[in-house]
Amino acid sequence: MSAEVKAKQTEMARKQLSRESAQALNKIEKDFPDNPKAMDYFYDLYRRIHCEGEVPHPGKKVIGTTCVQVPEELIYAAGAVPVRLCNGSHTYDQLGAEFMPAKSCSLVKATLGMLSSGLASWLDEGRDIVNVTTCDQKTKSGRLMEEAGYRVHHLELPPSKESEAARTYWQSNVNGFARELGSLTGHKITRNSLRDSIARVARAQQAFRRLHRLRMAPLAPILGKDVFLVTNAYFFDDIDAWTDAVEALNDEVEKRCEEGFAAAQRRAPRILFTGSPPIFPNLKLPTLIEQSGAVIVADETCSANRMLYDAVNVDEWQLYDMVDAVADRALKPCTCPIFISDEDRKRRLLELARTFAVDGVVYQAFSGCQVFEMEQRSISRFLADEGIPSLYVETDYSPDDVGQLSTRIEAFIESLKARRRRK
Amino acid sequence: MKRLRAFINGADIRRFRFWVQLGFFVLLVYGGYFLINLGQSLPTFSCGFNQPGRAGVCYLLPLQHQTHIPWDSIISWRGLGILTGLLTFVAWLFVFNKAWCGYACPLGTIQDWMTSLRQKLGIRYSTYSLDWFTRLKKIKYILLILLIVIPFLMANSVAGLPTLPEDMGTPFCKICPARMVIPAFTGDFSQWTVDFSTGTAATMTGLGMLVLGIFFIGGFINKRFFCFFCPMSALHSLFSKVALLKLRKDGSKCTRCGDCYRACDMQIKEIADDVESKTLIKDDCMMCFKCVASCPEEGALKASFMGIPIYESTEAGFFKRMTKRRKR
Repeated sequence: MSAEVKAKQTEMARKQLSRESAQALNKIEKDFPDNPKAMDYFYDLYRRIHCEGEVPHPGKKVIGTTCVQVPEELIYAAGAVPVRLCNGSHTYDQLGAEFMPAKSCSLVKATLGMLSSGLASWLDEGRDIVNVTTCDQKTKSGRLMEEAGYRVHHLELPPSKESEAARTYWQSNVNGFARELGSLTGHKITRNSLRDSIARVARAQQAFRRLHRLRMAPLAPILGKDVFLVTNAYFFDDIDAWTDAVEALNDEVEKRCEEGFAAAQRRAPRILFTGSPPIFPNLKLPTLIEQSGAVIVADETCSANRMLYDAVNVDEWQLYDMVDAVADRALKPCTCPIFISDEDRKRRLLELARTFAVDGVVYQAFSGCQVFEMEQRSISRFLADEGIPSLYVETDYSPDDVGQLSTRIEAFIESLKARRRRK
Repeated sequence: MKRLRAFINGADIRRFRFWVQLGFFVLLVYGGYFLINLGQSLPTFSCGFNQPGRAGVCYLLPLQHQTHIPWDSIISWRGLGILTGLLTFVAWLFVFNKAWCGYACPLGTIQDWMTSLRQKLGIRYSTYSLDWFTRLKKIKYILLILLIVIPFLMANSVAGLPTLPEDMGTPFCKICPARMVIPAFTGDFSQWTVDFSTGTAATMTGLGMLVLGIFFIGGFINKRFFCFFCPMSALHSLFSKVALLKLRKDGSKCTRCGDCYRACDMQIKEIADDVESKTLIKDDCMMCFKCVASCPEEGALKASFMGIPIYESTEAGFFKRMTKRRKR
């Protein structure tokens, strides 16, 4: 392929990408009335980054991450900025298809597509990525990233988290990563720098937890599509700016709660969203759910709740304990389906369903995401036993199935409404 | 009331514990000078060898005297003495449970001071692997059985064997580091000796000096090193289920993030992993309630007294403590 053709293709992809993002953003912003004022920060952020192609952290040392298990505190402490590369774009999904088998996960394909397209301007010249060996596809895609010219640190994650052996194995891998980060950025992680970065992340988590709790209100004060947009922005936004923006949003949402404002219909069924993560611009399913008259009040996904909820606890504020503490945070509470047991995920879903007075659960699995597909049976049976209706949706990034999906979702929501009336 | 609750739940338990421990240390080690006497059955290491500073005596000392009893005297006034001693011990324990270890025990407090020193020097702590943990934790029960059986065998001949020599008396005290460490705080170093009067005495006191050395090294690198082997803790655990002070867990609220397990000085893994039990007082637990302070989930862990929650995990309290301690 000549350079000219390649350049032309890249240009086409760029245009397609910006169109895709603009359409998705438009839908999220304009198709719904009464968006919170504080959401403008986030709409504007996506407009700049995704539609206009602005670089998130110009002039800074950036390190790409591919899963929630990367202890981002360490990256901040080493003087760099983590940017999560997990991608939600259909354009990139198509570009990435050439590297992966036909039946593989859209998210992994899209991430590879972005990295191979030459459009991945989020990283700096160092092209550094830390790839966690979570599922098989992510593990092997780390190798493909290397082939595409990236410098990849493979962070090995154990396949279970209950055993002490798994914990110590993971802790020692994270310690190795911490040492390597120091030589990579030229800033050794120190007691003070790590303490400060743990504080920054904790502040962001506090902001998220406040938003999370506000959604428990009997009248949903904010729509789930907006919250997904907010948490998704954590992937690439400046962490302090993000936290301030979320706190501003929290203040507004809190006021809404006091005023008795309802973001959806007063009797809209309350949905708990679980499974494969919605990542902009692929907020297809959440938007469909809320367009059909339900409201997402909570989630159990790695682009939102699982990423931001659990907090680091340090016992001794020395480097040795802090590194282990951030390692523990990434492993122990994680409800990712790649682990052998699904007990924690079940318990988490049940607890969320109860505290958020949920009417039903929507379980999204990207076709090709084997682990989420494999957990579907046990989770669905568990929810049924607990008397919680659930809908399993297998989908991908393509817009082709929207018609079919909306029929299924509307039917599910109607059944939830009917169930409520019977009660 | 609600504000009081929030204040207590947001409190820094470490600081609270530090002062309570210091208070108990002064009381139990120097109380005798002020004629305080809390009796002979204290469920904590208020060492009887610390005269005249002691404000009461560790129950293990009279217990080892009392079990030095011939068979035929058990049903007598001497047997009744064993019973009243045990009942007094249980009564103390019934109220404060294992918090005697986490808040009152002078030897425990000394170990916590050693931990603080290590921490200040920036030296990493060491832990046991889970394998060793499960193996070693049995030692305290063996010690408990021995400290009852040995005095008994001194007074009774079993299966025709000769009785044990009299200088095996109070065998546990001979090897207990508290006998050397605690009197030292009142300037009495007379226990820091090896008694060469007989072979048995030399062996036992020599062993004691060895344990003392291990205590200082182990206690410096492991948190609460000795407590793990403490027969008093084993004796507590026989009665701790019925006590009024309890550590409760609501498993449905637990995310198993392991934050409590991280904070636990006794490496109790169940505190994070067990989501079934309603009360969680393992035999090694010293009821310091650091786990409650380090839990970010509302009401997942709580200390309760007679069913009334007195200290509860809250999200606000967790982040408040984290921010405060980080600044120090």
